[in-house]
Amino acid sequence: MPPARDVMAHRGDDDEVCPVCKSSRYLNPDMRFLINPECYHKMCESCVDRIFSSGPANCPVAGCHKTLRKNRFRKQTFEDINVEREVDIRRRVMQVLNRREEEFDSKRAYDDFLEQREEIIANLVHGTDVAKTESDLQRYASENMRSIRANQALEAQEASSFREQQTQEQELARLRREAARQEYENERKELLAGREDVLSRLAAGRPGDAAAIAREGQKVLLKKSSARRSEEDRIRQKQAALRNSDARKGQGPLTTADRADDSGASSLIKGLKKIKTPEPEKPYDPFDGLVPNQRDYYTLRDHYPNSYLDPIRQDTRMQAGGYDLQEYYSRTLMEAFAGLGCFLDEEVSKRDITNTSNVSRPVATEGAALAAVSSAGAPEGSS
Amino acid sequence: MIEDDVYRSSSQFRLWSFTEASLKSLRATTNSVASDRVRAALRRAQDARRSANSSTTGTPAPGSDAESKATEEKAIDCLTPEEEQQVVDYYSEQIIQLGENYKPPLPTIVRATAIQYLRRFYLTNSPMTYHPKQIMPCALFLATKTDNYYLSLRQFTEGVPGQTSAEDIIAPEFLVMQSLRFTFDVRHPFRGLEGGVMELRAISQGQGQPAPHLPGQTPEDLRRGILSISPTSASATAINDRISRAHHATREILKTAAQITDAYFLYTPSQIWLSAFLIADRPLAEFYLDTKLGGPITSQQEGNPLYALRTKLLLTLNNCSTILQAYKPLASDDIRMKTLKRIIGKKLYHCQNPEKANLAGQKRIPAAAAAAAAAAAGESGTSESEMERLAKKRKLERGNDPNDLFGGELVMQRTKDKQLEGEGQQ
Repeated sequence: MPPARDVMAHRGDDDEVCPVCKSSRYLNPDMRFLINPECYHKMCESCVDRIFSSGPANCPVAGCHKTLRKNRFRKQTFEDINVEREVDIRRRVMQVLNRREEEFDSKRAYDDFLEQREEIIANLVHGTDVAKTESDLQRYASENMRSIRANQALEAQEASSFREQQTQEQELARLRREAARQEYENERKELLAGREDVLSRLAAGRPGDAAAIAREGQKVLLKKSSARRSEEDRIRQKQAALRNSDARKGQGPLTTADRADDSGASSLIKGLKKIKTPEPEKPYDPFDGLVPNQRDYYTLRDHYPNSYLDPIRQDTRMQAGGYDLQEYYSRTLMEAFAGLGCFLDEEVSKRDITNTSNVSRPVATEGAALAAVSSAGAPEGSS
Repeated sequence: MIEDDVYRSSSQFRLWSFTEASLKSLRATTNSVASDRVRAALRRAQDARRSANSSTTGTPAPGSDAESKATEEKAIDCLTPEEEQQVVDYYSEQIIQLGENYKPPLPTIVRATAIQYLRRFYLTNSPMTYHPKQIMPCALFLATKTDNYYLSLRQFTEGVPGQTSAEDIIAPEFLVMQSLRFTFDVRHPFRGLEGGVMELRAISQGQGQPAPHLPGQTPEDLRRGILSISPTSASATAINDRISRAHHATREILKTAAQITDAYFLYTPSQIWLSAFLIADRPLAEFYLDTKLGGPITSQQEGNPLYALRTKLLLTLNNCSTILQAYKPLASDDIRMKTLKRIIGKKLYHCQNPEKANLAGQKRIPAAAAAAAAAAAGESGTSESEMERLAKKRKLERGNDPNDLFGGELVMQRTKDKQLEGEGQQ
């Protein structure tokens, strides 16, 4: 007999008796076994009620001094208690170390992270370095609270949208099936009707026409079925297009999931992408960096001493028309310095070089002159 | 520098600024093209005359033919670019003289604009094609309009000496505008000079403002600086007089030397007035530049952009001053005047393009031809009204066809007109 079956049988036997009160299923058919993820010792529901109803108490299993609470007791999912424990640990660790692939610089870094996570899980499962691993995990959790939260939210969102998509697909499949069935039905009905029609016409017609009527009926049927088929194709294409657009819509929010910042580059995980916070938007600048009235060669004064211009300042006849000496000052000073730093010998030759690629400047100018000459000269030439 | 960018947007910078080399090559091309045309035109004219002669006399004498060949070879001796340049310079000076004929005399700025128009015109046209005597008054008249100095054409004609009619003056107007590429804006150094002098006055009275890049300056520093320029002036009035003298001298240079030389093509207006100012009063001008671009050059200022600008600028200003100083009025130079009158004048008389002599007769033709050309090319730029007008005119000239009771087809009329125009063009 293979040992596996033996074990199974034995365990089956185990299942029937509560290790705490030793009552068996034989006496109590409704007996349910519960475990506590603190120590994973199994006991029956009545034992849990009995021992822990009045508050936290020690585990009744000999040698286990863990303090257990009633509300943590739950049903066992896996038969093997070790698997149950590992799944619990894995879930807990995964909840903390929930970095996503797009948060890493490279695939390599992500793989390293996955390996590290597995190592942590293995440590906790097999009890090596538990204290250190636990403290690492604790610290990481407290340091990266925000990113953990954000990733959890993302995951939840993904899961919900996946579910939604799933139901949508199912619905579509159902509709398709329905349509196919309907179509089949229609076809059958038409076939019958066609046959009926042919029969009635055969009955009514002369014997000589029989072959012709049969042929005609066949043709009508064929035509109808081909028309139906093309119609179906059209509908199917439309539906496919609709489905695609739906799918695309469904993917939308996932890609734009926001990434929470975690400034503290965690010491536990390496190779995370540097998250740049976008620069705060600057206030709108209508002049695009140009400061109005900014000058590089001079600073404008409100008044310049000038024996010629000064009388204008008091002259009401001038002032009444809106003449502003300030305009004169700014214009003269602007013209005094406009182009002071333009060195034509350099700039023009540079410009000419860029211009020679299409038409060189002198030629263009000459062209204009030639046009003037020829247009002026042409009428004389013809007359 | 913002001011420089302002200047870079001007048409003077974009279209009418050159390097010495490009200016020279442009003039050389213009000259060679014009010479070819003049030679061809003269030959055509001679052929026409000869055929006319031969038809009247019947039997052409072989001797006379050879003779005419010889005269033809002699006649086709065109001006060189340098000679053309002298002719243009002479007529530029004539514009200044012409401005004096009016009461009151035309403002300097009008005359300066007219001179620049003339010089720009002769960059792409040759005096052999269009005689400056015809173009010069037109340029001046155009300048009175663009510089907002209103004179009626009749008033203007009165000031022009000789038997010049109003028609003659405006005949080449469109031609001139076209050669100016319709850019009438000329940036002069005059107003810039006023600005600079205005600021110097303010500095001398202790009201100077620090330059934006040298915020350390104080009005008092600037005042002391201007008073200590060599030779040192004792008081504010002395320095004021000195500024006035420099102002006046600079203005004289700008009025003449800057106009008749190529300074406008090679330098920017602010460089021109500062160069002229350097000639008039070097220490004062250098002081003024220092207030803008930082003090005298020291070795620690290497790499400072203002320092680089200053070095380059001084070089440019000196070059410009050299050009301005090299100018001598033609009237004062007897020998040059003589060569101009005797040799160049004679040459110009002989190599004048005969087909372009009568500008008044073809006054409207360039516009009409341009319109027709545009229509032929199918361009949408031609104004409909212009087309309409031309078509109507042609119809009137043709007169009503007596055979056609109801006139031509309406739809076809327009296209036919266009075709006719196209043929007229050929």
